[in-house]
Amino acid sequence: MTNNNTPNIPPLWRRLYSVWYRHVRVYTRNMFSNALPPFLEPLLFLAGVGLGLTKYITSTMQGLTYIEFLGTGLLMTSSMFTSSFECTFGTFIRLEFDKVYDGMLAAPITANNLIIGEILWAGSKGFFFSFAVLCILTVFGIISLPHSLFVPLIGFITGVMFATLALLVTSFVKTINHFNFYFTGLLSPMFFFSGVVFPISNLHEKIRPVAEVLPLTHSVRLARAICTNRYSASLAGDFLYIILFIFVVGFLAVRRLRRRLVN
Amino acid sequence: MPENVITVKILNKSFGKLCAVCDLSFEVEANTCFGFLGPNGAGKTTVMKMLYGKCLRDRKDDTVVNVLGYDPVENELAIKSMSGVVQQEDNLDDELNVIQNLLIYANFYGLVKTAAKKQIEYLLDFLELSAKAKSRIRELSGGMKRRLVIARALMNNPKLLILDEPTTGLDPQVRHLIWDKLHQLKKRGTTILLTTHYMEEAFQICDEVLIMHKGRKIMSDTPQELLKQNVEQYVLEVTGSYSANLFESPELSQNVRIEKAEEMTRLYSDDTERLRAFANKLHGAQYYLRQANLEDVFLRATGRGLDDKQ
Repeated sequence: MTNNNTPNIPPLWRRLYSVWYRHVRVYTRNMFSNALPPFLEPLLFLAGVGLGLTKYITSTMQGLTYIEFLGTGLLMTSSMFTSSFECTFGTFIRLEFDKVYDGMLAAPITANNLIIGEILWAGSKGFFFSFAVLCILTVFGIISLPHSLFVPLIGFITGVMFATLALLVTSFVKTINHFNFYFTGLLSPMFFFSGVVFPISNLHEKIRPVAEVLPLTHSVRLARAICTNRYSASLAGDFLYIILFIFVVGFLAVRRLRRRLVN
Repeated sequence: MPENVITVKILNKSFGKLCAVCDLSFEVEANTCFGFLGPNGAGKTTVMKMLYGKCLRDRKDDTVVNVLGYDPVENELAIKSMSGVVQQEDNLDDELNVIQNLLIYANFYGLVKTAAKKQIEYLLDFLELSAKAKSRIRELSGGMKRRLVIARALMNNPKLLILDEPTTGLDPQVRHLIWDKLHQLKKRGTTILLTTHYMEEAFQICDEVLIMHKGRKIMSDTPQELLKQNVEQYVLEVTGSYSANLFESPELSQNVRIEKAEEMTRLYSDDTERLRAFANKLHGAQYYLRQANLEDVFLRATGRGLDDKQ
């Protein structure tokens, strides 16, 4: 057979961008209900804790007042939760209920392109959500600019990191209710034991290594270092952990989820 | 020699022990409409998916799949960039309006904004959706959604258009409109591949039809030839349950094939007079004498009973 068909295949960046763009358009369609909560949530948290709890917590934590300590942790938990929701419930609905992926995969993108676009989008949400918390913390004078402005970048890689984990979980899930185990079983404990609400040095020494394994611990350290402008050499280890996590878990997630997209 | 847009030889797909597509071979010439007919679960959709890389075929040495000059396993992107796919579900983005839905797909094909807007305007006009350009997906009827999915699949002016049951569940007006559009597309050089279980649809728009059952090809030809080769010209349908000896009449002794179901007996013959003569003797019975159609061929080929996948 002669082949005089010259396909016009968009380059890789364009294919990833198309997936990302699709999510941005759908998300920004409901600006009010989608963009307001990320600002309200930290506000609520700080109000509740600031007005109530801080009165009783007089000691400092790693040289920070309690509200500073908690605030800098919240920058990362918001990234974690938004990215995790996006790539569990969001991905599952697009995959199984709305069949959005089926349509997208008829366009010139591969399943890998789609999954990586998905991860980049979750990272972008992580960026935006930590930026929202940053705004609130700045308004209340809890952290200071300009050095804190870099913290949404950590929000981005945190979003990417939790997206890879969430997608890996999603690749196993058969019914949407199973995600409850992931949220209560892993993410909620992480919220409490990754140095967000209290320093992990307060944990029993036998549990402390567990906290070191949790991915959120490392994000929180990086974010706190940036906000306080206090850096140490060990942060390189935290950064390395995150990068390694993204590549290893990301690789597994792409491989497993691809089989659900192309069977 | 006419050019083939699709060449498939000995294509197989199994899910566990189940053979969803078995040793299927077919060819689709350029500028024709090729239809896959078959009951639910026959494997039609799986074939479509394997052509554009959404589904992976079984690895076998003698299998050949060539779509627009490419093998979907090696170069799905080339195939996808030159084809359009209309899937069974209307998988539109409910959050967005009609134009925004199309813009997202224009992006997938790498169209720049001005070209995209022009193409969208043209497609909405072509599928008679211009008045709904700003409507939300929720406000669209089933027929409009379907047309929008077709418009989306035409975003890249595809050389090959794959449609999986494009008119299932639609009213006759929309169905005829879609057929009309498919005719127009074919005239302009688009090759069309579709699955359906509407015989009339296959008869109206397909140049060639392949009847599939339980993953296998049963027969394949032009609709007219399928009719001529596989079924008598006329059918007399007699409603009600009658004892078998009613049909032991002398008129029916020759050149008549009788098919009996619980509440309906069908008498097939090329001799319309013979059937008419018999019908005239059926006092008070409900009967209907008609020309045989593709549905008769289909039911004869695939059987009247249901299997566990239907």
